[in-house]
Amino acid sequence: MDNERYSRQLILKGFGATAQNKLINSRVLVVGAGGLGCPILQYLAAAGIGTIGIVDDDTISLSNLHRQIIFTTEDLDQPKVKVAAKRLGLVSPEISIVEHQLRLDKNNIFNIIESYDVVIDGTDNFDSRYIINDACTFLQKPLIFAAVSGFEGQLAIFNVKDKQGVATNYRDIFPTPPAPGEIQNCAENGVLGVLPGIIGTMAAAETIKLIAGIGQPLINTLLHYNLLTQTQYTLNISVGHDYVLPKSKADFILMDENQSHSNAPIYEEIDIKRMLLLREQDLALVIDVREKHEFPILDQDKFLQVPMSEFNTFIQNNIEAESIVLLCQHGIRSIAAAELLQEKYGAAKKIYSLKGGIAKWKDHFLKR
Amino acid sequence: MEMNMKLEIISFGKISEFIGHQQVEISNVTDTDQLKSYLETSFPELVGMKYKLAVNQNMIQSNQSLKNEDKVAIMPPFSGG
Repeated sequence: MDNERYSRQLILKGFGATAQNKLINSRVLVVGAGGLGCPILQYLAAAGIGTIGIVDDDTISLSNLHRQIIFTTEDLDQPKVKVAAKRLGLVSPEISIVEHQLRLDKNNIFNIIESYDVVIDGTDNFDSRYIINDACTFLQKPLIFAAVSGFEGQLAIFNVKDKQGVATNYRDIFPTPPAPGEIQNCAENGVLGVLPGIIGTMAAAETIKLIAGIGQPLINTLLHYNLLTQTQYTLNISVGHDYVLPKSKADFILMDENQSHSNAPIYEEIDIKRMLLLREQDLALVIDVREKHEFPILDQDKFLQVPMSEFNTFIQNNIEAESIVLLCQHGIRSIAAAELLQEKYGAAKKIYSLKGGIAKWKDHFLKR
Repeated sequence: MEMNMKLEIISFGKISEFIGHQQVEISNVTDTDQLKSYLETSFPELVGMKYKLAVNQNMIQSNQSLKNEDKVAIMPPFSGG
């Protein structure tokens, strides 16, 4: 251990070498390298957490930079995981950074989280949050939960027993996810850049407290923070009875969204970048569900045209592709098509709808 | 004996846009189930939304009786990151 690097923590009363050694020997997984993930990663790396895993499947865009402060304008379009890992390596060369450039889902989550001591959820959607919560709860893996909305944030620690031996998880607060569109995310609702900075920094502090065994981490406590009034409000979390968690890993993978995510869609709305990625790597069949008279006409080698008026007949035949991207003019009919496919295939296929449709990404579709 | 109950209502996130921080005096409400229907009648936006109630900073998991001057918090889920 580089004593000079950590000297200000080593001389800190109530911290010292004992706590620093616990940090060095710990493995922390940060899910989401966004507004919350950036400050979490920066402080954990600087503090000397021995191994830090980063999960994210996204690339850096210009609208990220006001809050995702690891990244610079030079990093645009680069994968977040790669750029973040490089930067953290420059700050703390003696720690290990593990890159997981992917999106966590029910099939891959156990393999990834099992080797870590603590998981931090800094994602931006309920689907991921519930999958992370359920997998961590199944493994009784400590989970730091952080989320923001508007000018407000939430923070809690799950799956860690309090002095009475009681542990809680996110479903003890919210047994089922909200319906799509009920709660807006930052992309729809906007967010002041400094807010995830504050909540992310607090999440890093809770992680350090939990691992080092100092202070009173937010075990079984939901902290609410309001930036506009600079106030905090805490709620004590108790064990709820309105949900059932899977009993085995197989159960977990099969656990149907019907029960756990009552209203949440299995299909996912994606942007043009993800669509291109899926198509270029031959990972998905891309279907244009517009009628034949609609413009622009797309390259039929790349886009299979199945107008909505023929869609029901079309899906009576089996589709071989495991992933299907649907698109239309504005991204509305493609959702209807996604729902039809979801009805037929459930979670057996990955179904995507191009958000905003061709109209939103016309620069891409019109260029020749 | 019919009595009005005084409660402090604190709400967060999107819910605070239509239920501001307020003191309410209500009759015929003695427990959290009745309070929920009172709130959902007074603020129809709340119907169908996911939220958690807490009484005096303790989340409630089932119906619970209320007493005068209780502080009731209404917390929605946040997903942003």
